[in-house]
Amino acid sequence: MIKVSNMMTKDVVTISRNSSLKEAAMLMSSKSVSSLVVMEKNRQIAVVSENDIIQGTISKKTKISDVMSKDFIVISPSTRFSEISRSLNDKKIKRFPVVENEKLVGLITETDLIEATRDFTRFHQIVQEVILAIFGLATAFFLFYFSPVGASIFS
Amino acid sequence: MLMARVRKIMLADVPTLKKEAKIEDAAKLLSKNDVGCVVIVEGKKPIGIVTELDLIRKVISKGQGMKGPAAGIMTSSLVSMNPNMKLDEALKIIDTKRFRKYPVVENGELIGLVTKRDIVNAISENVRFHRNIQNVVLVLFVLFEFFVFVLYKYLYMYIPFGGGL
Repeated sequence: MIKVSNMMTKDVVTISRNSSLKEAAMLMSSKSVSSLVVMEKNRQIAVVSENDIIQGTISKKTKISDVMSKDFIVISPSTRFSEISRSLNDKKIKRFPVVENEKLVGLITETDLIEATRDFTRFHQIVQEVILAIFGLATAFFLFYFSPVGASIFS
Repeated sequence: MLMARVRKIMLADVPTLKKEAKIEDAAKLLSKNDVGCVVIVEGKKPIGIVTELDLIRKVISKGQGMKGPAAGIMTSSLVSMNPNMKLDEALKIIDTKRFRKYPVVENGELIGLVTKRDIVNAISENVRFHRNIQNVVLVLFVLFEFFVFVLYKYLYMYIPFGGGL
């Protein structure tokens, strides 16, 4: 199975709730990330997405605390991939901070999930080809073994 | 492999803006829908795409106003897809290009938008479906072979020339 610790983004970009939207935008573009985690006293209290910042800028807001959203689910490195993709599809939650021993160690976003699905698909296709090849070889061997030629060699 | 085509998974209702539109219009359109991008068109021909990232990187982080033309911040190196393209061809494109959104163009007209997520999810479901079919076929084959090989002893006397033995 795919492990959360392999697919997550390890260097999470955090921000405080008193920062300005411009600071957040600068952080996003310099670190090339699409979401920030809002921290307060070493606890993750909210997430900010690109869309939150754009909406905030249109409605003339300036502070992170005005635009941040609470729609995130904290997961641990042992959470299963299927659980995450279920909450992504059903609850439309797109950001999953990964917390281990009460410490923020990573963040999983939709992009990470897409990459993981892509790798998983590739892996599945390879496994399937290998199964087919082994099965084909076994069948060929059996046919040969039970054929008159094979019988004269193996007996 | 039997594959769906891009036409089947594309989003037909693409948020578009004219070339003359302002950044502000693009920002409003972006915040209203969750597609994450706006396609800039000239007539019906797509000439560029403005994503949330463009807006953050080129406008908000620099503290500029939103009065400028949207065409000034768009990404104009578009990679478009054909609606009749099969999904595995589309997958080859997304594996080699670094974009997330691809306009679907037919006869020079924008008819839809397809995202990396849609393609990957569709392929993943397709693979799962094919795996199930393939496994059923394999099991049937194993049963058949077992039947033939185990009963070989009792069958070979009916084979011409005694099966060669």
